[in-house]
Amino acid sequence: MTGRQRKQFWRAVHAALILVAMFVMLVPIVWIFLAAFKTHVDVYQLKLFFTPTLENFGIVFDDPYRLGQKLFNSTIVALVTVVIAIPIATLAAYSFSRFSMRGETMMLVIILATQFVPAVVIILPFFVMFRDIGLLDTRVGLILVNLAIVMPFAIWMIKGFIDGIPMDTEEAAMVDGSSRLQVIRNIVLPMAAPGLLTSGIFCFIIAWNEFLFALILTNKEAVTLPIGLALFKGEEGDLWNLLSAAGIIIMAPMFVLALMIRKYFVQGMTMGAVR
Amino acid sequence: MRDNTLKYLLVLPAVVVVFATAIWPLIEAARLSFTVGRLNRPGSLEQYLGWENYTWAFLEEPAFWNSVWVTAVYTILTVGLTTIMALGLALLLAPGGRLRSSAQTLLILPFAMSPALIGVSFRFMFNPEFGLFDAFFGVLIPPLADVSWLADPNLAFAVVVMADVWGWIPFLTLVLIGGLASVPRDTVEAAQVDGASGWRVFRDITLPQLGPVLAVVIILKSIFSLKTFDQVFMLTNGGPGTATQTLSHYIYFNGMKYGQIGYSAAVAWLMVIPMIFLTYAYAKFVFRKN
Amino acid sequence: MAEIKLNNLTKRWGDFVGVDDQSLHIKDREFLVLLGPSGCGKTTTMRMIAGLEDPTAGEIWIGDRMVNDDLPKDRDVAMVFQNYGLYPHMTIFENIAYPLRVRGVDKSEVKPRVEKAAEQVELTQFLDRKPKALSGGQRQRVALARAIVRTPKVFLMDEPLSNLDAKLRVTMRAELKHLSRELQITTVYVTHDQIEAMTLADRVAVMKHGVIQQLGTPDEIYNDPANLFVAGFIGSPAMNLINGSVRNGMFVTTGGTQLVKLDAADRAKAILGVRADDMQVHDAGQGDIDVTIYAFENTGESTLLTVQWGKQRVIARGDRHLRKDQDEVVGISLDPDHLYLFDPETEDRIRI
Repeated sequence: MTGRQRKQFWRAVHAALILVAMFVMLVPIVWIFLAAFKTHVDVYQLKLFFTPTLENFGIVFDDPYRLGQKLFNSTIVALVTVVIAIPIATLAAYSFSRFSMRGETMMLVIILATQFVPAVVIILPFFVMFRDIGLLDTRVGLILVNLAIVMPFAIWMIKGFIDGIPMDTEEAAMVDGSSRLQVIRNIVLPMAAPGLLTSGIFCFIIAWNEFLFALILTNKEAVTLPIGLALFKGEEGDLWNLLSAAGIIIMAPMFVLALMIRKYFVQGMTMGAVR
Repeated sequence: MRDNTLKYLLVLPAVVVVFATAIWPLIEAARLSFTVGRLNRPGSLEQYLGWENYTWAFLEEPAFWNSVWVTAVYTILTVGLTTIMALGLALLLAPGGRLRSSAQTLLILPFAMSPALIGVSFRFMFNPEFGLFDAFFGVLIPPLADVSWLADPNLAFAVVVMADVWGWIPFLTLVLIGGLASVPRDTVEAAQVDGASGWRVFRDITLPQLGPVLAVVIILKSIFSLKTFDQVFMLTNGGPGTATQTLSHYIYFNGMKYGQIGYSAAVAWLMVIPMIFLTYAYAKFVFRKN
Repeated sequence: MAEIKLNNLTKRWGDFVGVDDQSLHIKDREFLVLLGPSGCGKTTTMRMIAGLEDPTAGEIWIGDRMVNDDLPKDRDVAMVFQNYGLYPHMTIFENIAYPLRVRGVDKSEVKPRVEKAAEQVELTQFLDRKPKALSGGQRQRVALARAIVRTPKVFLMDEPLSNLDAKLRVTMRAELKHLSRELQITTVYVTHDQIEAMTLADRVAVMKHGVIQQLGTPDEIYNDPANLFVAGFIGSPAMNLINGSVRNGMFVTTGGTQLVKLDAADRAKAILGVRADDMQVHDAGQGDIDVTIYAFENTGESTLLTVQWGKQRVIARGDRHLRKDQDEVVGISLDPDHLYLFDPETEDRIRI
């Protein structure tokens, strides 16, 4: 082989390896996607070609599964969690970013650390308390505990965005006669808006996919989509076509949201820890 | 208002929320861990036992040690495999081009998938009758053709590990691509001109400069691996037997199924300890950068 | 030691042409400077010689070997990068030693050679430090030392001085010149700085849009520019380019002023080039033409007069003791031996 041919050969190997890796990464998703459109007969065979049907999506929304209610719960819980978390986190993030406070590093480390506390630890006391005050199986209860995982994350992520806004603009506004609160409202919020939206979407995804809290705190009224998956574990085994249809309903909106913020994806997931 | 007052007012709501939703439960869990703590026995949540829950876990419960062992092996395997495979994939994608940008977009999809759903999908993929991966492995490795993956303790464990690795490769890959991009290109080129082969460039130049990013990735992944619950619950529910029962699952089971809140709080606190070390290491990296 | 031959070298990225079918023969031990504005293809040309970029077409020869398909490591070249490309995780010693280490040079031999190279660039006392602890000029020296620690066939230098401050650049330039005379190794040097090109080069290749505009000694490039681009690019202040025409052996500006006698055929459109240094400043009425001063600048070693010439502005250099003020009228005369005429359509030089 000449040098040129060798180069071309390795280039082909390289491309082939990437394609294989992508294939492996996507197959489980594609398989669920296909299964959701198979009949309950087709799904129990290794079929790649079949007549697609939409009946599974009808069934999962009907009795006894009533996925619509779970969809509603998931949406409300995730949405309200975000609506509470983002404003509170933004104010704190601004303060952490722009001022130096006594014990600031300490506070930031503790906030970071709470992010890593195992969810099982947090949920035990909440379960006991909610049982006593009647918040078990309510959306309110679920929203409260979801704040535990979303809040630290949101503070760190938004702080990263605000750190990236140059100080000059704010200083110019203050020299021009704005108060600090006017600066936040008129300068910082508009400039940080894309970051806030991104953080909001992240928190929405986290709250939407949350599993353990919902598993422990809900059983009927406030059940969310991921817990709803368990409904399709029938007595004669799993109802794969229905599971898949439900799976699509869970993941499709998340795919759309994730693609919307793909530029910030890595940054968000490491909370600015990795360049 | 003076900035000096304002700055504390601004953080106050956040501090209250973080305290109420994360710090208080930690303290309360610590308190519960010293009580009898039976869900179905009124008053037992205030009935103090001393260290008995802890000594019980250490001395009388093989199931606890089993879950520690499962979690440890699981963490080591998933962290190791995910890191190595993600690094490989990141190196493949690092040169750029059209393939990379589509790959980068596609890689976001598996990570946006809920871990519970990943568990479900892998149970599907390894179904002995019509699972795609089951069929695939059956063809590739004939002795595995007729096995029922989730019924065999070792194979079930392997499936749980595979599901986790599959779910985390995209994230680690994306982070490592970013890390590779921040290795100055001229150092790599200088080494090429200086006479280094591709492998030497990687070993002498790229890898050492990637060190901090790799460390952060490994710490983060370790934290998430130690906490694993969702996939395990949906995939094997800890089974067969207790072959795939991670610590989180063990705690859940004792607390929720058996109502032993006090005991499971004790185990949960034992689990917090390694987290503290990992978080400390992680925080050091985060603040060194700033 | 070796000569370099580029035969019909082309580099394209899609529709964009980086280097367009260029041939260049660099002699053994020659110091050749590739000079041009950013994006002219000079760096691409060098990177192709180094093997960091694959040519789309054409051949690269180093010595008597066609190296197109050789990896950088097999080309036996040394390169100094614009940002130095130092290995941040290695000490200065390890940085300089790296080319020896990867080539499997015996350990006992590495130390004396690194020390010799460090001595040549006056770095001996910093060998234990990391690059981060050094200043820009010192880092630059490390990059040099890493290049000279072994004796490659070719040195490649990619704008090595451009990241230094102005004063340091002058010092390093002299050091570089000294070193290259001492080492006598074929060198390709890329820069956009014409002073570096003038001072360092044996020959300069001026490039634009991927095409070599002129290849010659610094003398030829400065005093005998081949076309409008080279004339305008070389020299500081840039050569004055005056639009006009040639009529009856006189250059007439667009404004209609009969400027200077020219021994050239009539043409409707022409550009006259004259350097600031080739104009004399006189009192009003004493030169070829009287003009008004638009701005008067004193640089210390000389004075610069920007004068309004109809719609055009022209810069003339005056004596350092000359003192004039804005809006004053002075006489200007042009040195007839150093006038250049160009065709505005083809931008080529019209030989007078």
